[in-house]
Amino acid sequence: MIQLILFLGLGAVFLVLLYFFARRKDPKPEGGAQALLQAHHAISSLRTGLLPMDLVDRVFAQDDLNFVISKSGKQVRELFRRERKRMALLWVDQVRRHVSSLREFHSGQSRLYARLNFRTELGLALQFSSLLVLCRVLQAIFYVQGPYSARHVVGPAVSVAGKVCAVSERSLAFLEPTGSDAFRGSAGPHVAA
Amino acid sequence: MDVQRASDDVRRRTLAGMTQPLRKCIYLASMRDYNSGLYYHDGLADQFSAEVASEALANCHKEAFQDLVNSSLESLVNQFEDYIAASQTPVTGLLAVWARLEPYRVVIPVAADPFAAEFLFSNLKIALAIVEERLTQPRLSKRVA
Repeated sequence: MIQLILFLGLGAVFLVLLYFFARRKDPKPEGGAQALLQAHHAISSLRTGLLPMDLVDRVFAQDDLNFVISKSGKQVRELFRRERKRMALLWVDQVRRHVSSLREFHSGQSRLYARLNFRTELGLALQFSSLLVLCRVLQAIFYVQGPYSARHVVGPAVSVAGKVCAVSERSLAFLEPTGSDAFRGSAGPHVAA
Repeated sequence: MDVQRASDDVRRRTLAGMTQPLRKCIYLASMRDYNSGLYYHDGLADQFSAEVASEALANCHKEAFQDLVNSSLESLVNQFEDYIAASQTPVTGLLAVWARLEPYRVVIPVAADPFAAEFLFSNLKIALAIVEERLTQPRLSKRVA
């Protein structure tokens, strides 16, 4: 009797799971070109737009803050703080979005294109998780205290994001006619890796 | 190869007299057609071809934009003040138009990264406020000097 109840229970669980799988509105075909394009776009945006150290240094530049504090009135100081906070939040939000997109790609699609060993996959999963947590922490700090209180955390975040990008680039290297080096070359010399 | 030569030509001749990225960006953006996004320069097109000239000017524009984005706020304020001084427009009128119409939004290259572009607009907005403040409160200009 107990066995029968257990089997019926298991059957009910499988039916519920089947129902939820069938209800999925937007099933993504494995190996879909859309996922590849999104991953490619995420890497490109991170490499050329968000992670170059020249730009990151500029967004969190102490000399700009010093200049405004020493040589401007209250209104301009307020405007500066507001604008820099907005830019810092925008920066970390975009980094987080692109990293999330890459993690999605890796968890669902990349194994179709790249053979990563278990150790690399585990390391990558840890890097993705730590980076996303770091982004959330940065968002909270920027929101509460402004961009200048967490400048020392930005560097490590950029460094981890650079490593994640490098591994993702290797997964997508087959998209580049001359291999990953050509793609990496477009990132410019000052990108953290 | 031709694009490289044409780009060097633009840097050596046309842009040689402009030391500041803000001026270069404004000048190069003015060479671009609003609808097609292509750049036009008759002399360069005669020497090379219209396509090569457009690509060369686009390359130079990207470089100037990158330099402008990487400029410190202090440098940006100085560049903006020099630009105002060189223009023939009354300062107050120019500041009012820049604050209202934000013409600096059209000085970026078409392929500019959205975050870098937004950061530049933010910095220019602050620079504009600083210049305006210096004009209305000369006491602050003395602190600067």
